[in-house]
Amino acid sequence: MPTIDDFIRPKEWVSDFVTDLGHVIRKWGEERYMPIRQHVDEDWAEHKMIEPLLKEVLVDLGINAAFFPAEAGGTDIPDPFPCVTVICEELARIDSGFCVAVVCSIWGMVPIMFEPHRNMELCREFGPNFCGQDLYMSCHAMTEPQSGADIENIGRMHGKTIETTATLDGDKWIINGHKIWPSNSGHLADLYVVLCTTQKGSADPNDFALILVPADSEGVTSGNPYQKSGMSADLNSDVWFENVRVPKRYRLHGPGDDLKYWREAITAGSIGSTAMCVGIMKNVYEIIKKWTTERQIAGKPLKEHSIVADMLSEVAILIESTSAWMWTYVREITRPDIYGWDAWDERFLLKTRGLSLYASNAVERACSRAMDFMGSYGYAREFDIEKHWRDQKVIGLWMGGKGLKTLENARYWYDLETL
Amino acid sequence: MAVLYPSNEWCQEWKNVINNSDAAKDVGKDWGEDFNGNWIFEITPGGGLDKTTYVYLEAKSGECTDARLIDDPSEVEVGFYCTGSYENFKAAVKGEKDFIQGVVRGTFKLKGNMMKIMKYGGFIRVVANSLQGIDSGFLGE
Repeated sequence: MPTIDDFIRPKEWVSDFVTDLGHVIRKWGEERYMPIRQHVDEDWAEHKMIEPLLKEVLVDLGINAAFFPAEAGGTDIPDPFPCVTVICEELARIDSGFCVAVVCSIWGMVPIMFEPHRNMELCREFGPNFCGQDLYMSCHAMTEPQSGADIENIGRMHGKTIETTATLDGDKWIINGHKIWPSNSGHLADLYVVLCTTQKGSADPNDFALILVPADSEGVTSGNPYQKSGMSADLNSDVWFENVRVPKRYRLHGPGDDLKYWREAITAGSIGSTAMCVGIMKNVYEIIKKWTTERQIAGKPLKEHSIVADMLSEVAILIESTSAWMWTYVREITRPDIYGWDAWDERFLLKTRGLSLYASNAVERACSRAMDFMGSYGYAREFDIEKHWRDQKVIGLWMGGKGLKTLENARYWYDLETL
Repeated sequence: MAVLYPSNEWCQEWKNVINNSDAAKDVGKDWGEDFNGNWIFEITPGGGLDKTTYVYLEAKSGECTDARLIDDPSEVEVGFYCTGSYENFKAAVKGEKDFIQGVVRGTFKLKGNMMKIMKYGGFIRVVANSLQGIDSGFLGE
């Protein structure tokens, strides 16, 4: 009898270690998170239940330390993309908002953490915090009140709309600006990875900057969390930087290279987003399979009615197609020796936008169709579909939204020159 | 003078290197405290090794309390069981192959509490890196 482990995951590309790690996360999630999953939405502001569970995953399961170099106390797992993909699938199957909080803790560190472009100086300085026994989380602060998609649309807008500035004063950066919505903001962040410009209004890629700002730096303040329709385990607030001074060395790489390796972080975000969609859909599959097996209509299980089988088939197809595409791209990114592109290649950023767009449409469709056949049960919290239905929506909204994802995907495939 | 890998003499050298490591004591101080932190390394034949050989490593609280060859895995109770070919283990001992990378990529098959592997990845790496501190000799070389 097929299970979620029968959906596409090419064994020759995903090692037993990574699969076993996925099962560890799955077991943890079922034992530790499932019992409170239906109550997480009430914890959106204070994270009293959520924060200890973040520590269990990030510290006790070693996710925070997984990709840091050994010299910084990390586990230094090679080929991070398959591992991140499995982590995202398994955590999102349990709660995609929680998954976001976990992976975003290290997302902003990708430009300095992943080979071959590590910044060992910064890894040695900050790595021990991530690899220690206390919870330490970072927040990748990109979006601003006036501009989200514009900032991420680096290929056309070139960073011209970035309002957060970094000015060099001797050996210190002075950061000024306002960010909104980043995951792990508010009281959670210990370290901000701030996307800023060294010259407001500039389209010069050298002016695009990523700078580390410890959350307890003078001049950093944050607002109260926003209450969202879902993804309650993902804490999002405003963050203000007012004449914040940090050492010059806290810029991740330098002119040109910040932008270059940020692209890899965006590609990782698109792959991770897709994996979250797959994880959600796999749980939807589990729920709807059980429901349509046990529920009887007109004397037979719901799934034995052809109109229901149509829906069930579509959900399975959405999972298989998304998985197949996702793992193919993971393979391409992991094997530049075969496919010829480095992970920070702009073409990957553009292509994976299409994947992420497809996945966000797929999960929206899967959740909605599943609910159609569960009636009021699907709409009630106790049956878990409605939480996925609410949570998944933001996956299509973040990272530039469906508009930007559509444009950038078309830009790649059709050589668009003005869009 | 080089000690032959694998042999009981080599195991003693490994034990000494681990126990002389401040890093091991530091990052491994909680290793094995509430779980079995002992290992068997099953080395499969090839490259001059003519029969399967088992290296037993007893580790707790950042120290190695025993390291030796055993005839049969059933002689001891371990929390971690790692299998690999002689050629691959030789490469790891020489420092030519990274042990953790080998585990992640499937060169070495590792069974055990994955949660502990992830949580104590730093300690495992220190123990793996300690292999290069042994003056090792190899079959056929």
